[in-house]
Parts: sequence; C-alpha cells; structure tokens
Amino acid sequence: MLALDLLVNGLVFGLFYALMAVGLAMIFGVLKVVNFAHGEFYMVGAYAYVLLALKVGLSPWVALPLAAVGGAGLGWLVERLLMRPLSVGYGSWSLWKDEYSVVVTFGLSLLLINVVDKVVGPYAFLGPPLLRTRSLSVGPVLVNGQKLIAAGISVALLVGLALFIKRSLLGRQIQAVAQNRLGASLAGIDATHTTSVVFAISGALAALSGALLAPLINPTPDVGAFPAIKSYVIVVLGGMGSVWGAMAAALLLGVLESFFAVYVSYAYRDALGLLILILVLLVRPQGLLGEKVREV
Amino acid sequence: MAKLACIALTGALWLATTAAAAEPIAIGISLTQSPPGSVIQGTQIKQGLEIMKDMVNSKGGVLGRPLVLIYEDNQGIPEKGRAATEKLITKDKVVAVTGGHQSSVCLAEIEVAHRYGTPYVNVNCYSDDVRKKGYPEVFNPSNYNTRSATAIAETIAAMGVKSVVAFAENTDYGIGGAKNLAELIKAKSPGTEFSYVTLDRAGKDFTPAVLALRAHPPEMVVTLMIPPALYILINQLYEQGVAPSRKTWLFEGAGVVDYPDFWQNVRESAQWMISFGLYHPQMPIPKLGHDIAAEYTRRFNGEPPRMIFQATDSLLVLVDAIEQAKSTDSPAIVKALQTMKFDGARGTFQFGHEGGYGFQQWVDVPYVIYQVTEVNQPVSKTTLVKSPGGSLDVKKLQRPN
Repeated sequence: MLALDLLVNGLVFGLFYALMAVGLAMIFGVLKVVNFAHGEFYMVGAYAYVLLALKVGLSPWVALPLAAVGGAGLGWLVERLLMRPLSVGYGSWSLWKDEYSVVVTFGLSLLLINVVDKVVGPYAFLGPPLLRTRSLSVGPVLVNGQKLIAAGISVALLVGLALFIKRSLLGRQIQAVAQNRLGASLAGIDATHTTSVVFAISGALAALSGALLAPLINPTPDVGAFPAIKSYVIVVLGGMGSVWGAMAAALLLGVLESFFAVYVSYAYRDALGLLILILVLLVRPQGLLGEKVREV
Repeated sequence: MAKLACIALTGALWLATTAAAAEPIAIGISLTQSPPGSVIQGTQIKQGLEIMKDMVNSKGGVLGRPLVLIYEDNQGIPEKGRAATEKLITKDKVVAVTGGHQSSVCLAEIEVAHRYGTPYVNVNCYSDDVRKKGYPEVFNPSNYNTRSATAIAETIAAMGVKSVVAFAENTDYGIGGAKNLAELIKAKSPGTEFSYVTLDRAGKDFTPAVLALRAHPPEMVVTLMIPPALYILINQLYEQGVAPSRKTWLFEGAGVVDYPDFWQNVRESAQWMISFGLYHPQMPIPKLGHDIAAEYTRRFNGEPPRMIFQATDSLLVLVDAIEQAKSTDSPAIVKALQTMKFDGARGTFQFGHEGGYGFQQWVDVPYVIYQVTEVNQPVSKTTLVKSPGGSLDVKKLQRPN
C-alpha cells in the first residue's frame, strides 16, 4: 500500500521533472550550452499562471496556456538577445564563447529572481487548482486532484513533443541541428531559426511545468532553483542532449527519490540525485541514452 | 588682529559643536531583503524598525542626535550576513547591529560582532546556540527554541497526547528545536512517543514523508519550519488526510499565522491548527505596545504581526542603553544592556545572566498558544488557549468536525 503510494507519487513528480528537463536537454542538444536560467523560466510560468488567475481573474484553464506563451516568448527573447551575440557563425559552424554563456545565463537567473521579488513581492502565492477536488482516491491511492490532472497534461505534452520531434519537418530539423549544426546548415536547414524554436519550446515547457505545479508548491521568486538542479542531474543521467534519455531519467529519479525518502532518509533525499550524478559520470559518462563520442 | 582671531576661533568652535550635535547615531541592520532567505520576516522587521526610529527621532533622537538605520541585505545566507556585519561595523562605523532573524545567519554574524566587541541585538533567531556561545555583546529580547519547545511540550502533556511526530527544517532553528522538544517531552510527558523527521527547507514535495504517516498517524504532528516550505507541508498533510484530522492534531511551532500570505497559501488546510505565537491582540501589552500597534495599522493597515514588536523592542533596548550610557562606545552600551531594566512594547524586562540558553536573554519572553477555528481567521479572532501569565486551557481546543 505504502509502496504503491510512493510509486505513484514518484512517477507523478518524475513527469514534472521530465517537463523541465526535456527543455534543458533540447537547448543543450542544439547549442551545447547549459541554460542556468532554466529554473527561472519555470518560475516565470508559475507566476504568470498565478497572477493571471488570481489578480486578473482569468480561468485557470486560460491562464495555463497563456503562461506557456509567456515562457515561449521569454525563451525566444533570451535566444535572440543573449545567445546569438555570443557566437560567431551562429547559423552554421558556430564558434562559441562557452564561458560567456554560463555567465550570461547565470546572470539572467539572478536578474529574473530579483525582478520578480521587487515587482511582485517576496510573498508566496498558491495558485488556484485546475480541478476543485483536492484529493481523489484512485484504488488504494489517495492523489491530489491537481497532481493527477497535471500529470495527465504532462504525459500529453511529452507524447506530443516526442511525436513533433520524430514526425514533423521542424522536429527533424531540430534533430539534424542537434546532431551536426554545420552539416544541417549545409543541407539547407536554417539553424538560427531552429535554435529560436528550441528556446521557445524549452521556455514553454518549463513555464508549463511551473504553472501546473503552482497550485502545489506555493511559488516564491526563488522557486526555480530546486527543479533546475534536478533538471541538470536528469540531463546528465539521461545523456546530454538526449530528449528520450531525459524523459526516462526524470521518471527514474522521481521514483527513486520517493522510495529513498521513506526507506533510507528523507534528509538525504535530494542528495540522492547528486550521488547518482557522480556515479553516472564515473561509470557511464554518456548517460542512459546518450552517445559515446570522442572529439579530436 | 587678536580680537579677529578670537572671533574666528569662537565661530569655528561653534560650528564644530553644532556639527557634532547634529551628527547622527548609526545603527546597522542586517536582514533579508531578497531571496533565498525569509524576505517576509525581513520586511516586517524593517517596518517595525522604521516605526521605532521615527518615534525616537520625533522625540529628539538619541543623546540629542538623530538616529539613522543603515540596512544591509544578507539574503538569509550566513556568509552574506557575516560580510554585511563586517561592512556595517568597519565601513559604516555603526555603534551596534540588529535585525537578525534567521538562526544560521545570526550565528555567523555574532562571530563578527564578538570580534569587534560591537553590541548585537538578535530580533528573531530562535536557536539556543546563539545564547549558548556566551558572547557578552549579544542580547536576545525575543523567543528562543527552549521557550517554544517548553510551551509545546506543556501543551502536549496537558492534552494527554501519547504519540507525536515533528517535521523540522534542516536549519539551526529546526533541528535545534526538534532536539529541545524531544528532551522536554521526555521530561514533561514521559509516556509520550516522539520522533522527528528533518525536511529540506528548500524542498517542494514532502509527500513521501507524509505518506509514511498515513497508515499509522500519530496523535499530533508538530511543525518546526518556516514558509514557504511550511505552507507546502501543511497542504500536503491535509490532502493526505493526516492532519488536522479527527485523530491527529496539527501544532505549528514557528508562529506564522500572522504572516500576510498565510491564508492565501494554506486555505482550509490550516483550519483547526494549533499555533505557538509571540503576539495576540487579546494579550495584555503596555501603552507603548498599543501605540506601536496603532502606528502599524495607520501605515500598513491590518493587525500588526508579532515581528513588529520584536523589531521595535530590539531597537528600543539599544536606544535606551545609549541614553543610559550617555555614550556610543561599545563597552559602555554593552554594560548598560547588561544591567538595565527595559520598558518594551511587550512588557518590562531585563536580560538574564545565567549561562546556557538564558544568557543575556529575556527569559520570560511572553508567548501565546491559540487555535485557528475558521478559514481566513485573523489572529485576533482565534481561540486563545494560553495567554502570557495565564493558565493553559486545553479544554478550549476543538477537533475538526
């Protein structure tokens, strides 16, 4: 009974982690940079949802897609204004000033946290739930209604994203740019446009993740820090840049954490992810589904 | 020529005297004004300090000089608190430091204050360790872990509760409080089983810890955490049907019902919750306390939270000590703080001289215990179970319907 509860809770949180981590993996895939402001895309989504629903008075079902649009817009702006100037030959062979991207995204993270803190305030805001029912019994398992519906939406989004990447022309272009930016550009793919799309999708997914969790996690300006750290672990565990690997790793981490908390130690639950990170880097540095590469 | 020189000298002396008379007395304030620390506490403390500063300056200042407050944002991070205190003392030349409200930060800051011999008044750091260091510069006019743990343990004993699980945040406040509670429950309610679980204060999902209680819920769950993690935990305890329930009481040990965002974040989850508090509008306070409450309401609307009184008292003791010492020298201020009796916003007190948690502490700092019986209930309407100096009446406590 407890094990089933823990499994369901772990899978549900794994889905939320996946929504966050997939966007991070996609950005790494196409640009080979880690977006340290990814947690703040999540925070912006959570705040957009809460403020639109509570202050503007929109239905949560309207606020949710608007939060995603906000996240997509933010992602697009970050790529357009902050990422492009860091590269020479951005549309093709792309010579990166990698260390600058770390500083820029880290600075952006601090900026967004403090802007929200000063403009909206330091107070926590519990978002309105999409479903009024707070808890639902599913067999022997008691699940929060918001968690259940958010998990359902997350599954739909992840399946939709997987189909989009695999089947659509733009999705294939993203795969091509991720595999070889120069090769993709030689084949006539607009790598610049593709990168913009990836940032927008990444921003939208992170914002949606924040918005879906806003009725559960009482967002504050620094709410993104924690899921961002989990996302970095997941991206490495799944294989840097691998979307499928990120999805699998997110679910695995969610379940492992859930059981670890009860049967080993709650205090060290969050250290588990970092322990896994170290083990993966030592034993299988390419991650679960990443490819082993050697650069010369 | 000599007459002219004499006039010039007199003029220069007059100017120098006037300048000295007008030179403000600076008090350093290190508190949280941006994440990840508790900005809510920092904001409330700043509001209280500004009220007291204006009251002092409207009456002519301190030693005839205006009082100024120099703020530093420590973000609730110990290293930043340490740097802020260093800067306030060495660069801004403040005569004393106050504002501390998170135990881990206070513990870092008092090391600096102790090194320079600068008076330090703790506003809201509960950890007993702040007192146990025994630093002569550090004074504590507010609550401490042993005090709140004693209050909770006495309530548990009076209610006849036989099993208690505490959720404590992984900070000096949380872990220290849980250990104190374990000792005090053992002493005051020997038959009661007690255990505690440490939770990450930055955590967003405590469901696994709550699920572990669902099959065999204790008679009481105690929380030793601050928001926003506390809000998440309260909601998850309620969602899983653990507490408050017909079987399990919920006791909130940090005193956050008066936080401005409390009800927005917990809604029906907090109905029937029992809370430890440091202020209740029904508790008796001196005229100064009423004046401060009225000024708070005039400036910010609503009932004043307890942090306002803690902040005003912290600044007031420094002002009174400087007046008593007739000096801004640190040793003189420390000596005055050690020996004086203060008429604060919450009562008259003197700092204790015994060692341990009572060192330079207002040992009998007033506290209340009350139960929230309705959603969105202001503190003034909650059921007061224990008022300062009054007896504990647990018969007033109600279980959920």
